[in-house]
Amino acid sequence: MAFSLSSIAKRIHKTLANLRTGIVLLILVVIASALGTFVLQRPVTEADKLARAYSPNTLRWLDRLTLTDVFHAWWFLALLGLVSLSILLVSIDRFPNAWRFYARPYRKTDSHFRAALPNKVELPIRNSEDGLNAAERALKKLGWPVERIADKSEPSLYSERHRFSVMAVYIVHASLFLIFAGGIIDGLFGYSGFLMLQKGESGNVIELRTGARKRLPFAIKCYGAGQENYADGSPKRWWSKLAVVQDGKEIQTKEIVVNDPLVHQGLRFYQASYGPTGKLDGLKLLATPDGGTAREITLQADQPFDLDPNTSVTLAEYIPDFFIRDNQVFKRSDDPVNPAFRLQVKNKATGEDAKLWLFPAYGETAQGQKTNYSFAYRDMQMGYFTGLEVSHEPGQWLVWAGCLLMGAGLFVAFYMVHMRLWIVAVPDAKGKLVLWIGGQANKNRDRFEQKFNDVVATIQFELKGTSVAARPARKEEAELTLAGVK
Amino acid sequence: MSTRARVVQMEEPAATGGNALLVLVGLSVVFLLVVALLGVAKSGGSLISESNFLYVALIFYAGAGALYMGFGVTGTPRYVRYASVATSIGLVANTLAVAHRWYLSGRPPFASIYEMLLSFVWAVAALTLFAEKKFGVRIIGSITMPLAVVCVILMQLLPSDVRPLVPALQSTWLHVHVTLAMLSYATCALSCALAMMFLIQDDCKTETFLAWTSAMVSAIYIAIVATRFERWGGLSVTGWDAKNKSDIFLGRGMRLFVTVPDLGWLFMIAAAGAIVPLVLYLVGRAKNNESFYATANKAVFISILLHLVVLGAFVLRVRDASYPSPDQEGLFPTSLAASPFLLGGMVTGIFASLLYLMLLWRRADLEGLLPSADTLDRVTYKTICIAFPLLTGMIAAGAYWANRTWGSYWSWDPKETWAAITWLVYAGYLHMRITRGWRGRRAAYFAILGFGVVIFTFLGVTYLLPGLHAYA
Repeated sequence: MAFSLSSIAKRIHKTLANLRTGIVLLILVVIASALGTFVLQRPVTEADKLARAYSPNTLRWLDRLTLTDVFHAWWFLALLGLVSLSILLVSIDRFPNAWRFYARPYRKTDSHFRAALPNKVELPIRNSEDGLNAAERALKKLGWPVERIADKSEPSLYSERHRFSVMAVYIVHASLFLIFAGGIIDGLFGYSGFLMLQKGESGNVIELRTGARKRLPFAIKCYGAGQENYADGSPKRWWSKLAVVQDGKEIQTKEIVVNDPLVHQGLRFYQASYGPTGKLDGLKLLATPDGGTAREITLQADQPFDLDPNTSVTLAEYIPDFFIRDNQVFKRSDDPVNPAFRLQVKNKATGEDAKLWLFPAYGETAQGQKTNYSFAYRDMQMGYFTGLEVSHEPGQWLVWAGCLLMGAGLFVAFYMVHMRLWIVAVPDAKGKLVLWIGGQANKNRDRFEQKFNDVVATIQFELKGTSVAARPARKEEAELTLAGVK
Repeated sequence: MSTRARVVQMEEPAATGGNALLVLVGLSVVFLLVVALLGVAKSGGSLISESNFLYVALIFYAGAGALYMGFGVTGTPRYVRYASVATSIGLVANTLAVAHRWYLSGRPPFASIYEMLLSFVWAVAALTLFAEKKFGVRIIGSITMPLAVVCVILMQLLPSDVRPLVPALQSTWLHVHVTLAMLSYATCALSCALAMMFLIQDDCKTETFLAWTSAMVSAIYIAIVATRFERWGGLSVTGWDAKNKSDIFLGRGMRLFVTVPDLGWLFMIAAAGAIVPLVLYLVGRAKNNESFYATANKAVFISILLHLVVLGAFVLRVRDASYPSPDQEGLFPTSLAASPFLLGGMVTGIFASLLYLMLLWRRADLEGLLPSADTLDRVTYKTICIAFPLLTGMIAAGAYWANRTWGSYWSWDPKETWAAITWLVYAGYLHMRITRGWRGRRAAYFAILGFGVVIFTFLGVTYLLPGLHAYA
């Protein structure tokens, strides 16, 4: 037997449009996600931490199985795609029935339906017209909308509330698709990156997560950034004063803090980090000429400072944490805990260069043999950067819309009850004319029972004088009993 | 619903006196309060402090738990009434603790795992009372109160100092997100308790549970002994580098293990205690002799006591101590933080065994005292219908907040991922129930499983899996 393309498609459709398949896929997603939380993930873990946690062999296998980046692996995305497809197909399969139910409500009862309905009461009446009128009055009093079903043999009333709640599940599923759509749009067209700025600097090239660079159509200028601390020294606030510069003009300025980004052209700039650049912003020295008076100078890296018309000094090198071996200066770490500075003193007249080291830890002064200046360390200012997280998420509005819709859908689905009442004037089993009242709710049935009883009681009240007490067609179920030991 | 519940009153049984437990619990509560009061008076500290309120709450929750459980065992309705009173007093003390902390810090207590537990316990106690009133299910406290007690004890191990908010937490969304989270978690706890009540009322075979529970607990202890038992009866645990807050590493992928002497024997005994009920069950099944099951149940009880002792010994010996390592010279510090899986396994085992013992409460008299299985099933479903939208809102609020703080609404952080898993589990429950008509037993298992996932998301992820939610 040859498989035609359409029969395969049909089979796939049948498999996917099955709730059981959907549940199996969901379980797979759950397992995969759980795996992705137990195995350290490359995108969010530092490389050396990963290397410490797993042996090289294990790591190789984890990488090969893409378990170190589950959430961006093709098979995980495919799984998510299949789940969405399954939800879509199941919803589409079930929709026509639900729509029929919604569009063409069951208004007129027949005897089989009446026999099978659990919630029902029969009230004796004299004639059908009076009975139905009383019922209509009662329902209107209780705020139920009433519809008269014209039928010669069995005149009846139909009333319902919250019929739309039967469609709520489709709203919820649709909202899920809005969220997925938003996520897909962001996955395809969104990007996020990082922009590091120092005070006074401006930049328009961001470094993307992928390592690539992206040029923005405008530049961000940083007018300053800082950190404020609580009394105990823990950070209280990070801020950056930013400006958007386009075509040489400042379009927008804002002081951003964590939780309050700058938004321009769909791009958001978040305060993500703040810290020392490791570079020196300024070195404060006390320069003393031989036999002269000392004065304070501030050096910036690689910028000559004129001490007198003939002499200039430059900060040639800065080592944040040094050690000396074999008479050479080496760097131990990037922490500015034990700095060393190399100064270059140039004599313009003789053209002589003098290089001298300044080690604040060993003593404050440095004096070169070929210069007539001595230098004493006073202070240094580290450069600080503000790290801006930049993200472009064109799909996020769909996500938020989806969230709101889902909230509404869940509210309707769980808390709005589709309640229906049918009231018919028919002869009962003994042939006596009665007002048959039946009701049904699609959820929260016990609460509905109370409502139903209210309706019956009100109808009884309206019928007063023409009928006797109601005969419940079904025994009241005594639930929630917590009677003591008998 | 509510009116009906109010109409049904507890009838005082004439035959059973059942004052013993009441007197015992009453005296214990008074004794502990007096001791605490003396302690405060001696130290000259202020009576009005969060820790004192919390201590009072702990005492009353524990008393309530004992009474609820006493009701489960003896079926004395009077216990429940006093248990409710104790829960209410505990809740008042808990509220005062929350209020005091709120007053001191000027913000709701939502910013650390300690504060969240504080709110969570409050929500659990409040919902317990609410469920008693609203649904008439009067002994869910026998599950929720022990949970509250465990949480309050756990809080004692956590840093409780009021810290100022770090910049990322300074957001209104913190309040929205955490309020929704705590409410939904507490509602899930309630649904789990109701599902347990359902299983008590349901007439499923307890032997199956005996088999599964004892197999699981045995597996936990066998795994611990198999991987951690050292020569001469020691137990190896990971060394803890307190300064860097990380395990000590010898090399790539190699953690440094230290040996705690003698603890290995204890775990050996605990494993034996866990295996005995399983063996008894298997023998009973092979011989088709029901009397073995009764012995197995007693063995479960004894093994719980054993496991509690072992847990206590483990906590006392591993917390802030230093031991030698077989791999390297010198003494290395240990910490509970370095052995989250061991701790998690032990606590899970004890809880599972306790839940199993609860099933044995099923008796004719208790059946009359509890709501019908049908009602319990429906009420479980109803609580999940409340919890699910709350969970959804929690995740949505969290995503929105993350988008304002980290620049991305979803980053597959472990906490996020597990919140999504929780959501999926409950979504699965709802689908199976609504479209497949899952009722009763299977739905109850699902509800219990769901709460297991919730607890893992809430506490497990924080301690076992690192991520962005570092402060929670």
